[in-house]
Amino acid sequence: MAAFTATLLKPWTPRVLQIRWSRYNPYYLEPEPRKEVYSTPETELTPEQLKERELKSVRPIKAAPPVVHSSVFSDPMISKFINMMMKGGNKILARNIMLQTLENIKRKQVEKYHKAPDAEKAGIECNPYVIFHQALANCKPVIGLVTIQRGSRHYQVPTPLTDNRQRFVAMKWMIAECRENKHRRTLMDEKLAQELLAAFANKGPVVKKKFELHKMAEANRAFAHYRWW
Amino acid sequence: MPGRDPAAMASQGVALQQKLGRMLSKSVGKPVLKPNKPLALKDEATCITEMSLLMACWKENDFSDAACSSEVRAFFKCAEKAEAARKAEKGTTVGQKGILHPKQANSLLRRYPNQYKEI
Repeated sequence: MAAFTATLLKPWTPRVLQIRWSRYNPYYLEPEPRKEVYSTPETELTPEQLKERELKSVRPIKAAPPVVHSSVFSDPMISKFINMMMKGGNKILARNIMLQTLENIKRKQVEKYHKAPDAEKAGIECNPYVIFHQALANCKPVIGLVTIQRGSRHYQVPTPLTDNRQRFVAMKWMIAECRENKHRRTLMDEKLAQELLAAFANKGPVVKKKFELHKMAEANRAFAHYRWW
Repeated sequence: MPGRDPAAMASQGVALQQKLGRMLSKSVGKPVLKPNKPLALKDEATCITEMSLLMACWKENDFSDAACSSEVRAFFKCAEKAEAARKAEKGTTVGQKGILHPKQANSLLRRYPNQYKEI
Protein backbone atom coordinates (compact mmCIF):
# COMPACT_ATOMS: atom_id res chain seq x y z
CA MET A 1 0.00 0.00 0.00
CA ALA A 2 2.78 2.35 0.91
CA ALA A 3 4.69 1.47 -2.26
CA PHE A 4 1.60 2.17 -4.36
CA THR A 5 1.04 5.59 -2.79
CA ALA A 6 4.74 6.34 -3.34
CA THR A 7 4.31 5.76 -7.11
CA LEU A 8 1.43 8.25 -7.13
CA LEU A 9 3.66 10.95 -5.66
CA LYS A 10 6.33 10.56 -8.40
CA PRO A 11 6.38 13.39 -10.98
CA TRP A 12 4.68 12.09 -14.13
CA THR A 13 6.67 11.97 -17.40
CA PRO A 14 5.25 10.50 -20.60
CA ARG A 15 6.70 7.18 -21.73
CA VAL A 16 7.17 8.33 -25.29
CA LEU A 17 8.62 11.82 -25.78
CA GLN A 18 7.90 13.68 -29.05
CA ILE A 19 10.86 14.90 -31.05
CA ARG A 20 8.94 16.21 -34.07
CA TRP A 21 6.58 19.04 -33.24
CA SER A 22 4.23 20.93 -35.50
CA ARG A 23 4.74 24.29 -33.77
CA TYR A 24 8.35 25.30 -33.28
CA ASN A 25 9.95 28.36 -31.77
CA PRO A 26 10.49 30.89 -34.60
CA TYR A 27 14.28 30.65 -34.34
CA TYR A 28 14.27 27.01 -35.49
CA LEU A 29 15.51 26.72 -39.08
CA GLU A 30 14.04 24.56 -41.86
CA PRO A 31 15.82 21.28 -42.70
CA GLU A 32 17.63 21.07 -46.04
CA PRO A 33 17.08 17.65 -47.67
CA ARG A 34 18.84 18.27 -51.00
CA LYS A 35 22.28 16.68 -51.29
CA GLU A 36 23.70 19.20 -53.80
CA VAL A 37 23.59 21.95 -51.18
CA TYR A 38 26.02 20.07 -48.95
CA SER A 39 28.43 19.03 -51.69
CA THR A 40 29.03 22.54 -53.16
CA PRO A 41 32.39 23.93 -51.91
CA GLU A 42 32.54 27.24 -50.10
CA THR A 43 33.98 29.09 -53.11
CA GLU A 44 30.84 28.62 -55.21
CA LEU A 45 28.42 30.05 -52.68
CA THR A 46 27.08 33.59 -52.64
CA PRO A 47 27.67 35.71 -49.48
CA GLU A 48 24.04 35.17 -48.40
CA GLN A 49 24.40 31.42 -48.68
CA LEU A 50 27.63 31.52 -46.65
CA LYS A 51 25.82 33.54 -44.00
CA GLU A 52 23.00 30.96 -43.95
CA ARG A 53 25.51 28.16 -43.47
CA GLU A 54 27.10 29.97 -40.53
CA LEU A 55 23.67 30.49 -39.03
CA LYS A 56 22.97 26.76 -39.26
CA SER A 57 25.90 25.96 -37.01
CA VAL A 58 24.41 28.09 -34.22
CA ARG A 59 20.66 27.73 -34.49
CA PRO A 60 18.61 24.55 -33.87
CA ILE A 61 16.91 22.93 -36.90
CA LYS A 62 13.39 21.49 -37.06
CA ALA A 63 13.06 17.71 -37.31
CA ALA A 64 12.46 16.70 -40.94
CA PRO A 65 8.97 15.26 -41.53
CA PRO A 66 8.73 11.89 -43.33
CA VAL A 67 7.32 13.62 -46.43
CA VAL A 68 10.66 15.28 -47.15
CA HIS A 69 13.07 13.10 -49.18
CA SER A 70 16.66 13.35 -50.29
CA SER A 71 16.63 10.38 -52.68
CA VAL A 72 16.60 10.65 -56.48
CA PHE A 73 13.58 8.34 -56.63
CA SER A 74 11.31 10.59 -54.58
CA ASP A 75 8.47 12.17 -56.54
CA PRO A 76 6.07 14.56 -54.77
CA MET A 77 3.13 13.58 -57.01
CA ILE A 78 3.60 9.88 -56.31
CA SER A 79 3.92 10.61 -52.58
CA LYS A 80 0.63 12.51 -52.71
CA PHE A 81 -1.03 9.63 -54.55
CA ILE A 82 0.25 7.14 -51.98
CA ASN A 83 -1.10 9.30 -49.15
CA MET A 84 -4.49 9.50 -50.82
CA MET A 85 -4.62 5.74 -51.26
CA MET A 86 -3.58 5.10 -47.67
CA LYS A 87 -6.21 3.73 -45.28
CA GLY A 88 -5.92 3.85 -41.50
CA GLY A 89 -2.31 5.05 -41.57
CA ASN A 90 -1.05 1.93 -43.35
CA LYS A 91 1.60 3.72 -45.41
CA ILE A 92 3.58 0.52 -45.98
CA LEU A 93 0.68 -1.17 -47.74
CA ALA A 94 -0.17 1.93 -49.80
CA ARG A 95 3.46 2.32 -50.89
CA ASN A 96 3.72 -1.34 -51.84
CA ILE A 97 0.54 -1.09 -53.90
CA MET A 98 2.00 1.93 -55.73
CA LEU A 99 5.30 0.19 -56.45
CA GLN A 100 3.49 -2.90 -57.66
CA THR A 101 1.30 -0.72 -59.89
CA LEU A 102 4.37 0.86 -61.47
CA GLU A 103 5.88 -2.57 -61.98
CA ASN A 104 2.68 -3.81 -63.61
CA ILE A 105 2.63 -0.83 -65.95
CA LYS A 106 6.24 -1.49 -66.90
CA ARG A 107 5.58 -5.17 -67.52
CA LYS A 108 2.58 -4.48 -69.73
CA GLN A 109 4.37 -1.84 -71.74
CA VAL A 110 7.50 -3.96 -72.22
CA GLU A 111 5.33 -6.86 -73.38
CA LYS A 112 3.64 -4.55 -75.84
CA TYR A 113 7.01 -3.25 -76.97
CA HIS A 114 8.36 -6.69 -77.75
CA LYS A 115 5.24 -7.76 -79.59
CA ALA A 116 5.01 -4.62 -81.70
CA PRO A 117 6.55 -4.34 -85.17
CA ASP A 118 9.72 -2.26 -85.50
CA ALA A 119 7.92 0.79 -86.89
CA GLU A 120 5.75 1.20 -83.79
CA LYS A 121 8.46 0.42 -81.22
CA ALA A 122 9.60 4.02 -80.84
CA GLY A 123 6.07 5.18 -80.06
CA ILE A 124 5.55 2.90 -77.04
CA GLU A 125 6.33 4.58 -73.70
CA CYS A 126 7.88 2.15 -71.18
CA ASN A 127 8.77 4.51 -68.31
CA PRO A 128 6.00 4.00 -65.68
CA TYR A 129 6.66 7.40 -64.08
CA VAL A 130 6.10 9.20 -67.39
CA ILE A 131 2.91 7.20 -67.92
CA PHE A 132 1.71 8.04 -64.40
CA HIS A 133 2.27 11.77 -64.83
CA GLN A 134 0.76 11.91 -68.29
CA ALA A 135 -2.27 9.85 -67.23
CA LEU A 136 -2.98 12.18 -64.30
CA ALA A 137 -2.45 15.24 -66.52
CA ASN A 138 -5.04 13.82 -68.93
CA CYS A 139 -7.50 13.40 -66.03
CA LYS A 140 -7.13 16.91 -64.65
CA PRO A 141 -10.23 19.05 -65.27
CA VAL A 142 -9.60 22.52 -66.72
CA ILE A 143 -12.76 24.09 -65.29
CA GLY A 144 -14.76 23.26 -62.18
CA LEU A 145 -18.33 23.77 -61.04
CA VAL A 146 -19.27 25.59 -57.86
CA THR A 147 -22.75 25.63 -56.28
CA ILE A 148 -23.95 29.20 -55.81
CA GLN A 149 -27.27 30.12 -54.28
CA ARG A 150 -29.28 32.93 -55.87
CA GLY A 151 -32.58 33.38 -54.12
CA SER A 152 -33.94 29.93 -53.45
CA ARG A 153 -32.32 28.23 -56.43
CA HIS A 154 -28.90 26.62 -56.46
CA TYR A 155 -26.88 27.03 -59.66
CA GLN A 156 -23.79 25.15 -60.84
CA VAL A 157 -21.44 27.94 -61.86
CA PRO A 158 -18.28 27.28 -63.94
CA THR A 159 -15.13 28.57 -62.26
CA PRO A 160 -11.36 28.23 -62.76
CA LEU A 161 -9.63 25.71 -60.51
CA THR A 162 -6.27 26.06 -58.78
CA ASP A 163 -3.43 23.68 -59.68
CA ASN A 164 -3.71 21.87 -56.33
CA ARG A 165 -7.43 21.37 -56.71
CA GLN A 166 -7.06 19.97 -60.23
CA ARG A 167 -4.42 17.50 -59.11
CA PHE A 168 -6.47 16.45 -56.09
CA VAL A 169 -9.61 15.91 -58.15
CA ALA A 170 -7.76 13.85 -60.78
CA MET A 171 -6.21 11.59 -58.14
CA LYS A 172 -9.48 11.26 -56.23
CA TRP A 173 -11.37 10.24 -59.35
CA MET A 174 -8.71 7.67 -60.24
CA ILE A 175 -8.70 6.06 -56.80
CA ALA A 176 -12.50 6.13 -56.43
CA GLU A 177 -12.93 4.57 -59.88
CA CYS A 178 -10.55 1.75 -59.03
CA ARG A 179 -12.11 1.11 -55.64
CA GLU A 180 -15.77 1.18 -56.59
CA ASN A 181 -16.38 0.24 -60.20
CA LYS A 182 -14.24 -2.83 -60.57
CA HIS A 183 -14.65 -6.52 -59.89
CA ARG A 184 -14.31 -7.35 -56.19
CA ARG A 185 -11.56 -9.93 -56.57
CA THR A 186 -9.09 -7.88 -58.65
CA LEU A 187 -6.21 -6.40 -56.65
CA MET A 188 -5.72 -2.63 -56.43
CA ASP A 189 -2.41 -2.61 -58.27
CA GLU A 190 -3.92 -4.42 -61.26
CA LYS A 191 -6.92 -2.10 -61.37
CA LEU A 192 -4.75 0.99 -61.04
CA ALA A 193 -2.37 -0.16 -63.76
CA GLN A 194 -5.28 -0.73 -66.14
CA GLU A 195 -6.83 2.65 -65.37
CA LEU A 196 -3.56 4.56 -65.64
CA LEU A 197 -2.76 3.02 -69.01
CA ALA A 198 -6.28 3.83 -70.25
CA ALA A 199 -5.97 7.43 -69.04
CA PHE A 200 -2.55 7.69 -70.70
CA ALA A 201 -4.27 6.85 -74.00
CA ASN A 202 -7.08 9.36 -73.25
CA LYS A 203 -9.66 6.61 -72.94
CA GLY A 204 -11.31 5.00 -69.93
CA PRO A 205 -13.88 6.13 -67.36
CA VAL A 206 -11.79 8.77 -65.57
CA VAL A 207 -11.11 10.80 -68.71
CA LYS A 208 -14.79 10.36 -69.61
CA LYS A 209 -15.72 11.86 -66.23
CA LYS A 210 -13.46 14.84 -66.94
CA PHE A 211 -15.16 15.38 -70.31
CA GLU A 212 -18.57 15.20 -68.70
CA LEU A 213 -17.55 17.88 -66.22
CA HIS A 214 -16.38 20.07 -69.11
CA LYS A 215 -19.68 19.52 -70.92
CA MET A 216 -21.65 20.48 -67.80
CA ALA A 217 -19.54 23.63 -67.42
CA GLU A 218 -20.16 24.49 -71.07
CA ALA A 219 -23.89 23.93 -70.64
CA ASN A 220 -23.94 26.22 -67.59
CA ARG A 221 -21.80 28.98 -69.11
CA ALA A 222 -24.71 31.43 -68.85
CA PHE A 223 -24.38 31.41 -65.05
CA ALA A 224 -20.69 32.37 -65.10
CA HIS A 225 -21.58 35.92 -64.02
CA TYR A 226 -23.02 34.65 -60.73
CA ARG A 227 -19.48 34.37 -59.47
CA TRP A 228 -18.07 37.30 -57.53
CA TRP A 229 -14.42 36.34 -57.28
CA MET B 1 -23.18 34.17 -73.52
CA PRO B 2 -26.47 33.37 -75.23
CA GLY B 3 -28.27 36.21 -77.03
CA ARG B 4 -25.59 38.93 -76.64
CA ASP B 5 -24.16 40.75 -79.64
CA PRO B 6 -20.74 42.43 -79.15
CA ALA B 7 -21.46 45.37 -81.50
CA ALA B 8 -24.71 46.20 -79.70
CA MET B 9 -22.94 45.90 -76.36
CA ALA B 10 -20.18 48.31 -77.52
CA SER B 11 -22.74 50.94 -78.60
CA GLN B 12 -24.55 50.47 -75.28
CA GLY B 13 -21.24 51.06 -73.47
CA VAL B 14 -20.65 54.37 -75.33
CA ALA B 15 -24.19 55.58 -74.57
CA LEU B 16 -23.71 54.61 -70.93
CA GLN B 17 -20.48 56.66 -70.69
CA GLN B 18 -22.24 59.72 -72.15
CA LYS B 19 -25.14 59.40 -69.71
CA LEU B 20 -22.67 59.03 -66.85
CA GLY B 21 -20.85 62.17 -67.95
CA ARG B 22 -24.10 64.12 -67.96
CA MET B 23 -25.03 62.85 -64.49
CA LEU B 24 -21.67 63.88 -63.02
CA SER B 25 -21.25 67.28 -64.70
CA LYS B 26 -22.38 70.63 -63.21
CA SER B 27 -22.99 72.30 -66.59
CA VAL B 28 -26.33 70.52 -67.19
CA GLY B 29 -28.13 71.52 -63.97
CA LYS B 30 -27.33 69.99 -60.57
CA PRO B 31 -25.08 66.85 -60.68
CA VAL B 32 -27.15 63.76 -59.88
CA LEU B 33 -24.13 61.67 -58.76
CA LYS B 34 -21.53 62.81 -56.23
CA PRO B 35 -19.27 59.79 -55.81
CA ASN B 36 -16.79 59.97 -52.91
CA LYS B 37 -14.95 56.85 -54.21
CA PRO B 38 -14.02 55.98 -57.82
CA LEU B 39 -16.89 54.41 -59.74
CA ALA B 40 -16.25 50.72 -60.36
CA LEU B 41 -18.21 47.49 -60.30
CA LYS B 42 -18.09 45.98 -56.83
CA ASP B 43 -17.84 42.25 -57.50
CA GLU B 44 -16.74 41.26 -60.96
CA ALA B 45 -16.31 37.67 -62.06
CA THR B 46 -12.78 37.25 -63.42
CA CYS B 47 -11.66 35.52 -66.63
CA ILE B 48 -15.12 35.42 -68.23
CA THR B 49 -13.82 36.27 -71.72
CA GLU B 50 -11.14 33.58 -71.61
CA MET B 51 -13.70 31.08 -70.37
CA SER B 52 -16.14 31.91 -73.16
CA LEU B 53 -13.38 31.62 -75.79
CA LEU B 54 -12.36 28.27 -74.37
CA MET B 55 -15.93 27.01 -74.41
CA ALA B 56 -16.45 28.16 -77.99
CA CYS B 57 -13.29 26.29 -78.99
CA TRP B 58 -14.53 23.19 -77.14
CA LYS B 59 -17.86 23.33 -78.88
CA GLU B 60 -16.15 23.41 -82.28
CA ASN B 61 -13.58 20.71 -81.56
CA ASP B 62 -15.76 18.30 -79.58
CA PHE B 63 -14.12 19.05 -76.20
CA SER B 64 -10.66 17.83 -77.19
CA ASP B 65 -7.94 19.38 -75.03
CA ALA B 66 -5.21 19.00 -77.64
CA ALA B 67 -7.04 21.17 -80.17
CA CYS B 68 -7.76 23.96 -77.66
CA SER B 69 -4.37 24.00 -75.90
CA SER B 70 -3.70 27.73 -76.54
CA GLU B 71 -7.10 28.75 -75.12
CA VAL B 72 -6.52 26.49 -72.11
CA ARG B 73 -3.15 28.14 -71.50
CA ALA B 74 -4.66 31.63 -71.78
CA PHE B 75 -7.41 30.64 -69.33
CA PHE B 76 -4.88 29.29 -66.82
CA LYS B 77 -2.75 32.43 -67.12
CA CYS B 78 -5.78 34.64 -66.46
CA ALA B 79 -6.79 32.47 -63.50
CA GLU B 80 -3.27 32.71 -62.05
CA LYS B 81 -3.23 36.50 -62.42
CA ALA B 82 -6.67 36.80 -60.77
CA GLU B 83 -5.54 34.58 -57.90
CA ALA B 84 -2.34 36.62 -57.40
CA ALA B 85 -4.35 39.88 -57.46
CA ARG B 86 -6.76 38.52 -54.88
CA LYS B 87 -3.91 37.39 -52.63
CA ALA B 88 -2.26 40.83 -52.89
CA GLU B 89 -5.52 42.59 -52.09
CA LYS B 90 -6.13 40.33 -49.11
CA GLY B 91 -3.10 41.71 -47.30
CA THR B 92 -3.95 45.44 -47.59
CA THR B 93 -5.20 47.10 -44.44
CA VAL B 94 -8.08 49.24 -45.72
CA GLY B 95 -10.63 47.21 -47.68
CA GLN B 96 -12.99 48.18 -50.46
CA LYS B 97 -15.53 49.92 -48.24
CA GLY B 98 -12.85 52.22 -46.79
CA ILE B 99 -12.83 50.54 -43.37
CA LEU B 100 -10.75 47.78 -41.81
CA HIS B 101 -11.85 44.17 -41.95
CA PRO B 102 -13.07 43.12 -38.47
CA LYS B 103 -10.38 40.44 -38.17
CA GLN B 104 -7.61 42.94 -39.01
CA ALA B 105 -9.09 45.46 -36.54
CA ASN B 106 -9.12 42.77 -33.84
CA SER B 107 -5.49 41.76 -34.41
CA LEU B 108 -4.35 45.40 -34.37
CA LEU B 109 -6.24 46.13 -31.15
CA ARG B 110 -4.75 42.98 -29.62
CA ARG B 111 -1.27 44.26 -30.38
CA TYR B 112 -1.98 47.65 -28.80
CA PRO B 113 -4.52 46.97 -26.07
CA ASN B 114 -6.14 49.48 -23.73
CA GLN B 115 -4.21 50.04 -20.51
CA TYR B 116 -6.33 49.52 -17.40
CA LYS B 117 -3.55 49.50 -14.84
CA GLU B 118 -0.57 51.77 -14.45
CA ILE B 119 2.61 49.74 -14.74
